[in-house]
Amino acid sequence: MKQEKQKSLSTRLSIWIVLFAAVIFIAALGVFFAESRNAVRREAINNATQVLDNTVQRVDNILKGVKVATENTAWLVGRHLDEPDSMFTYCRSILQNNPNLNGCSIAFEPFHYRQKGLYFSAYALNENGRIQTTQEGNDHYQYFYLDWYQLPKLLDRPCWTEPFRDFNPEDIYSKEMIISYCIPIKDTDQRYIGTMSVDLSLDWLSKTISAVKPYPNSYSIMIGKGGTFFVHPDSSKLFYQTIFTQTMLEPDSSVINLGHDMQAGLEGVRQMDIDGTNSYVFFKPLAETGWSVGIVCPASDIFGGYFRLINSIIGIVIVGLLLMLMVFSSIITKQLEPLEDLVYQAETIASGNLLEELPEYTHNDEIGLLNKSFRNMQLSIVNQMEELKKVNEQKGRIQSELKIARDIQMAMLPKIFPPYPDRDDIDVFGKLTPAKEVGGDLFDFYIRDEKLLFCIGDVSGKGVPASLYMVVTRALFRTISAHESSPSKIIQNLNEVMSKGNESNMFVTMFIGVLDLPTGRLHYCNAGHDAPLLIGNTGAGMLPVDSNLPVGVLPEWKFSLQETLLDPDTTIFLYTDGLTEAENIDHKQFEMSRMVELAKSMQKAGTFTPTFVVNEMTEKVQAFVGEADQSDDLTMLAIQYTKHHKDIVYQHSLTLTNDLKRVPRLNAFIDEVCEANGFDMSTTMQINLAIEEAVVNVMNYAYPEGTKGDINVEAKSNGEVMKFIIRDTGVPFDPTVKEEVDITLSAEDREIGGLGIHLIRQIMDNINYERTEGHNVLTLTKKLPK
Amino acid sequence: MEVKITTQDSVTTAQLIGRLDTPASQEISGDFENLTKYAAGTVILDCTQLEYISSSGLRLFLSLRKAAASKGGKVIVKAINNEIRSVFMMTGFLNLFEIQD
Repeated sequence: MKQEKQKSLSTRLSIWIVLFAAVIFIAALGVFFAESRNAVRREAINNATQVLDNTVQRVDNILKGVKVATENTAWLVGRHLDEPDSMFTYCRSILQNNPNLNGCSIAFEPFHYRQKGLYFSAYALNENGRIQTTQEGNDHYQYFYLDWYQLPKLLDRPCWTEPFRDFNPEDIYSKEMIISYCIPIKDTDQRYIGTMSVDLSLDWLSKTISAVKPYPNSYSIMIGKGGTFFVHPDSSKLFYQTIFTQTMLEPDSSVINLGHDMQAGLEGVRQMDIDGTNSYVFFKPLAETGWSVGIVCPASDIFGGYFRLINSIIGIVIVGLLLMLMVFSSIITKQLEPLEDLVYQAETIASGNLLEELPEYTHNDEIGLLNKSFRNMQLSIVNQMEELKKVNEQKGRIQSELKIARDIQMAMLPKIFPPYPDRDDIDVFGKLTPAKEVGGDLFDFYIRDEKLLFCIGDVSGKGVPASLYMVVTRALFRTISAHESSPSKIIQNLNEVMSKGNESNMFVTMFIGVLDLPTGRLHYCNAGHDAPLLIGNTGAGMLPVDSNLPVGVLPEWKFSLQETLLDPDTTIFLYTDGLTEAENIDHKQFEMSRMVELAKSMQKAGTFTPTFVVNEMTEKVQAFVGEADQSDDLTMLAIQYTKHHKDIVYQHSLTLTNDLKRVPRLNAFIDEVCEANGFDMSTTMQINLAIEEAVVNVMNYAYPEGTKGDINVEAKSNGEVMKFIIRDTGVPFDPTVKEEVDITLSAEDREIGGLGIHLIRQIMDNINYERTEGHNVLTLTKKLPK
Repeated sequence: MEVKITTQDSVTTAQLIGRLDTPASQEISGDFENLTKYAAGTVILDCTQLEYISSSGLRLFLSLRKAAASKGGKVIVKAINNEIRSVFMMTGFLNLFEIQD
């Protein structure tokens, strides 16, 4: 992967460089090619034109030579017309003097020389250097009808013939093509008497012309006035085809134009297709005859060298570019090698091995800088990781401490439900859900002396600060309520303690209730908390509460006490604002109205046991909140009071005056009751002790010294438990709130007093105090023996 | 309720006879006042004939025990019945006194 990436980077870079170089090369070469092509073309044209000029010059010179020689000889002939046989000599000598010439005829009009007959033509022939002379003309060869003879006669001037086949006495016509320069012979009166003609081998002329080859594949042509090919590499075209013949089959205006120009005796150069090959045609007329000589040069020949040059340059450029690509690629790869090391290092570091040593790289270039900053990065990552580790450890420690704190806090709450499985007069269910690890809500309840003491509270704020305050509040509630049964006094004590040193201005809204289980009388005090709901057989509604300040605000605040009598089966539902102010995602609150509606519907359905009420409320509020985060601690506590009256099966009572001397009478009464109800001797003695202690307490404390009053002791049994109800009309005196003696202390540290109430608690199953209608009512309960 | 006090050498024996209920405690509080005089030595409370004890009776015992402790003497409770033993148990008195059978 890393290998590939690096390769691709160096390859990519090299390709870009080479592409750029290629573009520059192409531009430069393009200009160079165009320019050099023009130069080559110009050069080729000049060259070919020169060659053509030379050729034409040579041919013209030859023709001119022939002409001069002929004219000179003709002058001699004119001087010696009277010597017919001397004509042979002239013929021979012209051939001897001009080895280029093929033959020479000096022919006369029929019967010009009577002695010679109808035909007289002196003829010399150069046969491979051997010159033979003959007399021509016979019935088979009537020369005076032939073109070469007739033309000068008719034109009355010297002229060149078109090429024709030479007459050969043996073969009649030889294969050789010749052209002749013909001069009219005149007598002294300027009358025409014959024609002198000098033959030139066209073959030889043709060879001379064809020998001109400026390019390997170029060739020469010559056409006559009529456009007939006199010289052409394709011998089949000679004399039978004109330059126009081909155009009759395949019209080609360029060839036709060329033909016309050549016929017209013009000079020039044309570029055109000849037999499918792009060619340049250079042409120029012969001054002597007016025939046109042309050189056909294929463009590929002209530009052959040029194209070869181009191909080699392109080849060199391509090879060069490829070499460049390879060299650059390898150079860049080499230069990027340290990067590869870095990449490996980075991956090692990324895989968690932070202390991996980076490779040394001493150059101070970009890679060196990268290397340096990478080192710095590595260093700071290591430092950061250390820091992070520390922070995480710290966080983990705080987290685990918070968890322990939560466990401790939760352990303070009642968590065994149902809490009183043995009792049929009371059922309680409570639940606390903190919004954070720890919370500021609290609830608590316990039964002391047949009284259910309960509270619910909400500390201002959330989290750790609130939780500290919650713990203190709960602890104080337990401590204070252990010796105080009046909710308002409990709260007042709480408030005094909590208000002191409350520098963070925390406060607790609280509701404390004390439910007297035998009677169903509920005393309560509300310190700024939400009013509880009462759900009973007859309906559901709010418990009226006074508006007291929350706990912790004002130390001197007097909290008001309220009371009500609960109907049997009534459920008291207490909650914190975490319920009514629970928010859903749209920041809408659950609100009191929903809660009351829900309570009413439960009341109508007839199911309002504590567990059901709390669970139903929880379910509904959770459904309402939905996906939203829990915004506040949520606490609910439900208490159902069910009063059961069992029929009294035994009842006996005794009234005493507050005189200690009456104690033996009391003992006798108790002995009687216990015996009647089947208690054994030992238990009877203990019950005696408990009742005596209770009654003596009343005598000593409810009736201060010097006051008189009655004490009524009533013994009641329902077949299950024995109740001793001690009533007096003295000052309020609650023995149940007395501090417990510590029986583990040494003799020196033991208080003398406090043993009485301790013995009562030890001996009896239950103790309950109520102050009602000006009476102190103390109820002691003992289970009957089975 | 009757208290018989006999002294021999440094050992004082108080024989407690009857029910030591609240009124009886008031009745014999003087006798226990006297007993504190002997608290420097050994005081034996003979409970062989003690039938019943209330918290006020226990208070007398504890006062005597405190006086003995301050004077360097000791109080021995002798021969308590089962009922009184259970009261001693409930109040932690078993640990405060030397109990003799």
